[in-house]
Amino acid sequence: MFQEKCAGCHTIGGGDRVGPDMEGVTALRDRDWLVRFIVEPDRVIAEGDPIAAALLEQFGMPMPNLGLTEAQADAIVVYLEAQAGDAPAPPPEPPVSVTAPTGDPDIGRDLFSGASRLANGGAACIACHDIAGVGALGGGALGPDLTQTHAKFGADGTAAMLANLSFPTMIPIFGTRPLTPEEQAHLAALFQQTAEVGPPAQPVGQLALAAAAGAALLFGVMHLLWRRRLTAVRRPLVKG
Amino acid sequence: MLDLLLFAVFPYVAVVLAVVVGMYRYFNARFSYSSYSSQFLETRALFWGSVPWHYGIIVILLAHLLAALFPDAWAALIAEPGRLYALELVGLALGLLALVGMALLIARRLYNARIRSVTSLLDWVLLAVLLAQVALGVWVALFYRWGSAWYLSSITPWLRSLTVLQPQIDAVVVLPLVVKLHALGGFVIIALFPFTRLVHLIVFPLAYLWRAPQVVIWNRRAGDRRRG
Repeated sequence: MFQEKCAGCHTIGGGDRVGPDMEGVTALRDRDWLVRFIVEPDRVIAEGDPIAAALLEQFGMPMPNLGLTEAQADAIVVYLEAQAGDAPAPPPEPPVSVTAPTGDPDIGRDLFSGASRLANGGAACIACHDIAGVGALGGGALGPDLTQTHAKFGADGTAAMLANLSFPTMIPIFGTRPLTPEEQAHLAALFQQTAEVGPPAQPVGQLALAAAAGAALLFGVMHLLWRRRLTAVRRPLVKG
Repeated sequence: MLDLLLFAVFPYVAVVLAVVVGMYRYFNARFSYSSYSSQFLETRALFWGSVPWHYGIIVILLAHLLAALFPDAWAALIAEPGRLYALELVGLALGLLALVGMALLIARRLYNARIRSVTSLLDWVLLAVLLAQVALGVWVALFYRWGSAWYLSSITPWLRSLTVLQPQIDAVVVLPLVVKLHALGGFVIIALFPFTRLVHLIVFPLAYLWRAPQVVIWNRRAGDRRRG
């Protein structure tokens, strides 16, 4: 369960990723607090819990509510406790990669841009995310830029994120329409390829300028076509 | 709880108000089904406000509707980034057109004393809501790109769930505040519809397209000229 739900953002002894390293967390935090935070992090944060607030500030991103039950959270804590017991001897293995990145970055780019539709009907990444090299005006801005995903989270982190997509805005969309293992591999390959590229520029200025030009053009067309449109019917009749 | 009220209950309240009050008004005050045109009082500024506003907003409304009704066709339409950009640019240009048009219409009502005197409190409310709604839409189009794409997976399912009376709000409540305000704004306008001159949008004189032509003749003035 840890691999499936947590490893996208957390390691045990592998250092901080999107969220903190879980090594020794069972000694650091109260057990009940841990269970509750795993079950409903959003509520704990909303209540202004000082630990949660400090974590939010440190990592700059809230932990999403993964919809786990208390029993599942308890099982995860038991697992973390067991890991802590083993910990002193060998440093624990970093999480096993879910899919080896044997994907094709070009197929990944087509999936990203929506040119090839996702098999289970999920939204194309471009709707909300930007990435280097996806088109003149880039990808969406509702979600974060994904150019540096691989650079930030590594192959394992990227693979786990693609496998789960457990982000608040994505759960309602991808919860029932997950990426297939092949799609995950292709996208992982794309992220690996863009890891060395800097994030693309924001096209807001260009976009606004082009649209303003378009609007001005339409005003011009209206002037030419309908200059006399709303003048009174009677006036030309009377003149004539 | 608040989300449930706003996104699962309020839309129904708005639609029921629109239908029930709209029908009541139709059967009890039919002559009030009008845009109360003020063209008689002022035409120049009206042209530069009304024409851009209507052409802009009608096409944009249509796009919102089509993406909700035919999401698969819409997804196929924007599958190429080039086509997505073209659609977004046209949409944003029309949004700006509507925004400028509405701003002009409001300015006209504010600064022209004759028009101001035929403007009711509800007119002001409606104009303010429409301006805010279009401004929010332009904001979303610029800073939460690409709306024409994520609409299909975040808004279409919500609207469809509302129409089958099984509201699913999970995809919409996680959206950014500006987007949520824009979504709610749409239903606020539907709720305002039966109480304001917005009712004119369902009495568009479509019959003019096929009715027999009528020739209007002013014979009195012609007679004046003959005498003079």
